[in-house]
Amino acid sequence: MTSSTVAKQDDLMDRRIGLRLSGPTLSILCHPCLAGHAFYRNTGVRLIGGIRGRLYHLTALLFSLAWICPPGPRLTFSTLPWLFFVQMERVLKDDAVEEKGERARMASFIGAMAIADLVKTTLGPKGMDKILQSTGRGRNVTVTNDGATILKSLHIDNPAAKVLVDISKVQDDEVGDGTTSVVVLAGELLREAEKLVNMKIHPMTIIAGYRMAAECARNALLQKTMDNKENIDKFRSDLMNIAMTTLSSKILSQDKEYFAELAVDAVLRLKGSTNLEAIQILKKPGGSLKDSFLDEGFILDKKIGIGQPKRIENAKILVANTAMDTDKVKIYGARVRVDSMAKVAEIEAAEKQKMREKVQKIIGHGINCFVNRQLIYNFPEELFADAGILAIEHADFEGIERLALVTGGEIASTFDNPESVKLGHCKVIEEIMIGEDKLIHFSGVEMGQACTIVLRGASEHVLDEAERSLHDALCVLSQTVNDTRVVFGGGWPEMVMAKEVDELARKTPGKKSHAIDAFSRALQAIPTIIADNAGLDSAELISQLRAEHHKENSVAGIDVISGSVGDMQKRGISESFKVKQAILLSATEAAEMILRVDEIITCAPRQREDRM
Amino acid sequence: MAAAATAPAVSRKTETYTDTKRRDDVRGANIAAARAVADAVRTSLGPRGMDKMIASGDQAHEVIITNDGATILSRMSLVQPAARMLAELSRSQDAAAGDGTTTVVVLAGSLLRRAQTLLSAGAHPTAAADALHRLATRAVDVLHGMAIPVELSDRESLVKSASTALNSKVVSQYSSLLSPLAVDAALSVVDPAHPDLLDLRDIRIVKKLGGTVDDTELVRGLIFDKKASHAAGGPTRVENAKIAVIQFQVSPPKTDIEQSVIVSDYAQMDRILREERNYILGMVKKIKAAGCNVLLIQKSILRDAVTDLSLHYLAKAKILVVKDVERDEIEFVTKTLNCLPIANIEHFRADKLGHADLVEEVSVGEGKVVKITGIKDMGRTATVLVRGSNQLVIDEADRSLHDALCVIRCLVNKRFMIAGGGAPEIEMSMQLAAWAKELQGMESYCIKEFADALEVIPYTLAENAGLNPIAIVTELRNRHAKGEKNAGINVRKGQITNILEENVVQPLLVSTSAITLACECVRMILKIDDIVTVR
Repeated sequence: MTSSTVAKQDDLMDRRIGLRLSGPTLSILCHPCLAGHAFYRNTGVRLIGGIRGRLYHLTALLFSLAWICPPGPRLTFSTLPWLFFVQMERVLKDDAVEEKGERARMASFIGAMAIADLVKTTLGPKGMDKILQSTGRGRNVTVTNDGATILKSLHIDNPAAKVLVDISKVQDDEVGDGTTSVVVLAGELLREAEKLVNMKIHPMTIIAGYRMAAECARNALLQKTMDNKENIDKFRSDLMNIAMTTLSSKILSQDKEYFAELAVDAVLRLKGSTNLEAIQILKKPGGSLKDSFLDEGFILDKKIGIGQPKRIENAKILVANTAMDTDKVKIYGARVRVDSMAKVAEIEAAEKQKMREKVQKIIGHGINCFVNRQLIYNFPEELFADAGILAIEHADFEGIERLALVTGGEIASTFDNPESVKLGHCKVIEEIMIGEDKLIHFSGVEMGQACTIVLRGASEHVLDEAERSLHDALCVLSQTVNDTRVVFGGGWPEMVMAKEVDELARKTPGKKSHAIDAFSRALQAIPTIIADNAGLDSAELISQLRAEHHKENSVAGIDVISGSVGDMQKRGISESFKVKQAILLSATEAAEMILRVDEIITCAPRQREDRM
Repeated sequence: MAAAATAPAVSRKTETYTDTKRRDDVRGANIAAARAVADAVRTSLGPRGMDKMIASGDQAHEVIITNDGATILSRMSLVQPAARMLAELSRSQDAAAGDGTTTVVVLAGSLLRRAQTLLSAGAHPTAAADALHRLATRAVDVLHGMAIPVELSDRESLVKSASTALNSKVVSQYSSLLSPLAVDAALSVVDPAHPDLLDLRDIRIVKKLGGTVDDTELVRGLIFDKKASHAAGGPTRVENAKIAVIQFQVSPPKTDIEQSVIVSDYAQMDRILREERNYILGMVKKIKAAGCNVLLIQKSILRDAVTDLSLHYLAKAKILVVKDVERDEIEFVTKTLNCLPIANIEHFRADKLGHADLVEEVSVGEGKVVKITGIKDMGRTATVLVRGSNQLVIDEADRSLHDALCVIRCLVNKRFMIAGGGAPEIEMSMQLAAWAKELQGMESYCIKEFADALEVIPYTLAENAGLNPIAIVTELRNRHAKGEKNAGINVRKGQITNILEENVVQPLLVSTSAITLACECVRMILKIDDIVTVR
């Protein structure tokens, strides 16, 4: 498509920005079509039918526009296409808004770039944090550096911006890290695409160029990956490097060695499974981050019943979700009619007896620990205590599910067939104290890979953010254990890709080469932003870095700490290939998708009452 | 933002244009808000610190008078996110050390002030934040260097540190009474099996209006803030008590399924009444048969725990009854009495009872409490009965006692003490400043600034005590430069003395956690560049 309008882009841009910023009121005022429409309604032109009416209508509109907006070239050029809009109104419902062509594309570009710019400053080891202030009840505050968390919680209207939020979410689910990078890269790709569109290059040509470039970049990166699968020691150090690189941009950066060690240990315990559920992260305020520790087994934040043993060895655990008050008759209105007090007492005794039988059945499983999701009342609690069984009441859903998973048991709710119930096992159950709280520790559990990371920290904010950071690191590590290919970090992969893409651009004839060139520029934007965030002179650094990469097999990247171009191998800055690949591919796809858009239809909100 | 002087080798100017206007604004606003909070509590620091009166904004118009930083901040309804972070900082200090909740906030405020200077001088926030982290680690080393080991058997030292904590409170004049009391209470619950653990939940504080704080006592046993039941002239004093804690109800039966008793004629009514009487009598007989003469009854929400009728029979059987014991108190009670709770009348056996020499109802002030003393095989718990002339004093005494107990807990966890009176802060400040001179570039500059910030504690101490802060701080610095590590501000004499001789000591853990927590919080505030409003 060549541009169908002669509008000046800048003017349009300005107006769009105005719209975006100042809400619906202004948008009605500014929207030339609506203004005309209002005029047309007010003057009652609608009464005149037929072609004459339509003509009248057009003149009225033109008149109204000339009247409302200041005259000048801008008016004539930029508003002319909107006249065709008038016909469209008959197709869509009254309040449905439609944006087409240039304008639609512009809206998506701007939305996407605004989102990318928002999270841009969090990128890299010297990236900044954001406060997320909730408008809901309690006005909760979250302090975070995690792109996915920021984007997830934003209010967003712009459809293109939503696409970016989605890719960040997918990145979080798939590989766990690089949630900011993917959005920033997509934003940069669109920024470059916008320039190309302004140069009258058809979006489809840009897309084709981007596709070629992405393919080429992927291959370039693939060739340079390192794989230390065979060498266990080296692989471990790779993992350590990856963990430290991931953590260095987060709150845990100061203790990154410590936490990298924690995360690597935890992930290696998993022995290749990506089931992060076996790693429990427990947050306890107090102490400092350095007091965090990794513990094998499982910790439940509950109390042991009164008068029951506080320590059990070789525990057989029954995990249950059953009512331990009474088994109520669940028929509405069921009641007992009696004619004497003694009978009431009898019924009460019978109820007690039922409970006792239930407890006996549970004890009959040959257990010495009983964990229930619901409350255990005094009476059964005493019975358990008499039988020397440790009973834990009111464990939360997540807690018992995880407990059942790690101890190898199943959650039971009926107790008639002891042989069909799978019991959980663990070596020792004991009460431990972390900070001020008493917790129950299950060690030597059936599922050997299970472990618990207890996080300590100054405040809830720190703990929440630490948990997010650690979760990112764990995700990346568990992915790396499966796909052991590793690349360097610090802008190295981007520069490697950019170099290859540049070569490709030179070889490719036709308009596509512009797009390929643009792709390479977008890739280079990532190290640029990292340098900018660290307050370094990015223009200088990037040009140095590019010169370095012109040599064969360079390992140069940006060393933010010393503020210069450095050797990434020596610094031990590595990233997982899988993460980089995911960033590249999903950012390209998202950019492509947004580029293809040439029309945005905002559906009319459902009317609460009929206005007319 | 220019990192012009990060290191001499790589000094380069920033040539790129970045729009940092808004970012600076957000950071500036955050720092300003946090400092405002710190200034609000600043005057309550130290033995001559002032108290704050907090009036709650809601209907109740509840008034609290306190000197405790954590309490003040938790009551202030803060909205600004950074200000809330400071309130939370004080809460963490409360959880970690229990004392020093004001110190930590004042420290954070002062660090933020210096950070602002650094930022306007062109330091990159992350450079400042990283410097702060190194400073915190180093400061902890300095503190360890001046710490004095302490043994739990050394009761006197423990009392000293407890009284330092109490000296800044409203109840400071009673510190000679309260601090030994806190020490004894704390030491009596330390389990020899886990000598470095102290669970404060094993110490119960019972508040009773009337008398003065002087009458506060540590009870070796148990106290219930309730009257014994007098309904039918039951006993109020029992010697050689056999105590049962029951979780069932001594009242007519009630089933879980809905039930109704149908009375069809007059004669039946009599019969039902008789049956009810017999039913309760049967229960009481069973209780009596086990030899029980004191009954503690758990509160029940489902039905009456006791009725007048059952109280009557229990009184007849010479059983002292305390009713409405809360369910969460049961664990503490059973632990203290070394008995087991009984949830069903069928299980009422003599081996589940606890034994005590004396259970009696005593009048305290205008109310009465039930006191159980001389418990056989008493569990490791303690009860403190706090008295005071009005509710405000009692509450404040309670909070102060909690602080003192926390101090002891810190010493149990980490058996080191450190001098008080601003001595550790000035020592840290001097040693860190000296260290800063060995460093290079931006880091050195930042650490120098932050080291100076630590002087805020002695400065504020002097200021609050009405002394000339500049004269005091400079003299303090001078004395420390001469190597008198333990020279501190003696607020009572208004001069600098060896603070150890004045018995002003505090646990090491309080100081270390204050500095690390304050640094962590300031780092976090520095790293924030935007506030995003979300759902």
